[in-house]
Amino acid sequence: MGQDTSGTAGRRQRTRGRRPWLRILGTLSPQRRLTLTLLSFLTPLALWSALSYLPFVWHPMVRVADAGDASWFSSGELVEGDAFAEENARIRAAGGHAATGKRANPVFLPPPHAVLSALVTGFTTPPARPDEPWLHQALWHSITIIFWGFVVSSVVGVPLGILCGALPAAARLTEPFIEFFRYLPAPAFGALAVAVLGIQDAPKIAIIFVGTFFQQVLVISNTTRRIDPGLLEAAQTLGASRRALLFRVVVPGVITDVYTDMRVLLGWAWTYLIVAELIGVSSGITFFINQQAKYRAYDKVFASIVLIGLIGLGTDVVLARLGRRLFPWLPSAGVRRRLFFGLRRPARVAATPVEAGEPAAVQAKGAA
Amino acid sequence: MSAGLAVLSYRDQAPAVAERFQRMKERPVVLDVRALSKTFQSATGPVLALDRISFRAYRRELLCVIGPSGCGKSTLGRIIAGLDSPTGGEMLLDGKAIDGPGPDRGMVFQNYTLFPWLTVRRNVMFGPEVSRGLSAPMAEAEAQQWIDLVGLSRFADSYPHQLSGGMKQRVAIARALANRPRILIMDEPFGALDALTRAQMQSYLLQIWRNVDVTIVFVTHDLDEAVYLGDRVLVLDAHPGRVRELMEVPVPRPRTREQFTSPEFLAARHHLEEMIHPPLKVQAETLPLGRMTVVGDDVE
Repeated sequence: MGQDTSGTAGRRQRTRGRRPWLRILGTLSPQRRLTLTLLSFLTPLALWSALSYLPFVWHPMVRVADAGDASWFSSGELVEGDAFAEENARIRAAGGHAATGKRANPVFLPPPHAVLSALVTGFTTPPARPDEPWLHQALWHSITIIFWGFVVSSVVGVPLGILCGALPAAARLTEPFIEFFRYLPAPAFGALAVAVLGIQDAPKIAIIFVGTFFQQVLVISNTTRRIDPGLLEAAQTLGASRRALLFRVVVPGVITDVYTDMRVLLGWAWTYLIVAELIGVSSGITFFINQQAKYRAYDKVFASIVLIGLIGLGTDVVLARLGRRLFPWLPSAGVRRRLFFGLRRPARVAATPVEAGEPAAVQAKGAA
Repeated sequence: MSAGLAVLSYRDQAPAVAERFQRMKERPVVLDVRALSKTFQSATGPVLALDRISFRAYRRELLCVIGPSGCGKSTLGRIIAGLDSPTGGEMLLDGKAIDGPGPDRGMVFQNYTLFPWLTVRRNVMFGPEVSRGLSAPMAEAEAQQWIDLVGLSRFADSYPHQLSGGMKQRVAIARALANRPRILIMDEPFGALDALTRAQMQSYLLQIWRNVDVTIVFVTHDLDEAVYLGDRVLVLDAHPGRVRELMEVPVPRPRTREQFTSPEFLAARHHLEEMIHPPLKVQAETLPLGRMTVVGDDVE
């Protein structure tokens, strides 16, 4: 009996010391979170490195070092591995001087270090032609297009979405049409946008708008409909008018979820950018990428794509931080700190009849 | 009725208690519910949830509404608050017919329904600002009184998610009372709390109620709670919800938890028990259960 329990306790202690990695809906320790986050980036990078640096993994091409007697090779050229072997076999059969070369990847798969150096040199290298933009100019132009497209869409879409969520009549009046319209691909309006708005930035902003707006209204109205009806009932029993219900309960009640929706929608807006920038006068990062592809500078193409990803991820991280500032009532790290400061100050006012257990419970919650 | 020493009937009231009820009934009627009915449309046809409910609540009375599940006691509370509309009958508040929700009837819900984006102080200020049109400084002064009354001065600037369940419900009470309602409807307000906190909250409520001129309609399914808190207990039957009895609680005030074992308390509780939980017809022994223990064990 005694042996039995000590054995169980020992086993329990061991499992507590090392929790399984794959626990359904479990939480991860900070170290494991960091490890997995790094792995999520390092795994694709490792795969890419393997493809780039290990000659036996893929490398279907040969970079010619010495053309030898091969008539159509030149030094430094990339040739298909099969063609290279065939040509050399023919030369050897004829008793000539065989070509030499190293196995290599196609030009469209630059190795990581080339892309990394392109990321750095991309900003310092002047454009190939004087009328072309620098990389930072191209990026900034893209960011302004996204910004204005998203702002114009949100200025109309967020209030309309909340209104549709709050008022069934407004939803019936607008949502069936929006539901139809959102299936129309935004690029289909490219020609129309150019005809109406010219060839510069306006039609590009319009495409971002068309791509974002209709989804935005539907997503936000659905979010608004998910508000806790108990909050509306409570406000009604407190004498709130319809106006007060909308502006003092519905809007603050859904604003945090709408903010999260907006972060997702901003990601979608980026996906319309490439199409938008091809319309009219091609511009921005899309133009830059296309030009680099023409010059076969694929390291710069990759660098540009990585930059778009970094900007998107960076924006989202900033917005998440900002959200915690804007909405201090959400249970998060920032709020916990606030509570701690809040508890320090009025602690001397102890004359109030508070149950002994409760402040301690709150403090514990704050410290957790 | 024999006032025998051995078995005390719930109808036997001590002179002080009888006199108290006498005085209560001389006070003006705040809430007059007349033949209130509610029919729900369901998939299988109309369902009568409340059938001609009539009762009166006097000024500063604490009236408990109790009944088996499905008797429509929560629906009754919601109708009085104006959140549901009745299909028949009428309600008078201070002699005037009422329709729809209004600041004259406060409500406290089981699941708190505090506004999570407002601090405790601003939650309590909500009613005075939107219904009485008070300016922010005046509403704040008003709110402060009620926050002090429920003992949460230290937490006035906390957000609801930082509070325990009992504290949240105290904020909800303060928020409802800050509107100076004529009646306060409480729909199983302590149902989500643990037993210890619930007991504390019941005592808190009695303290608060003693200091505030408000009539309380308290919906509950807890017999002890009804007897401990109520002046009278409105007992409802289920399917359809009908008034079974309007019982006067013979336990003298001020109430304390020691009274839970007093003869008056037990008599009142026993009477409620008989009405709400009639003895089960099917005895456990007759259920077709097989023995699921291991043969040879020494249980029983």
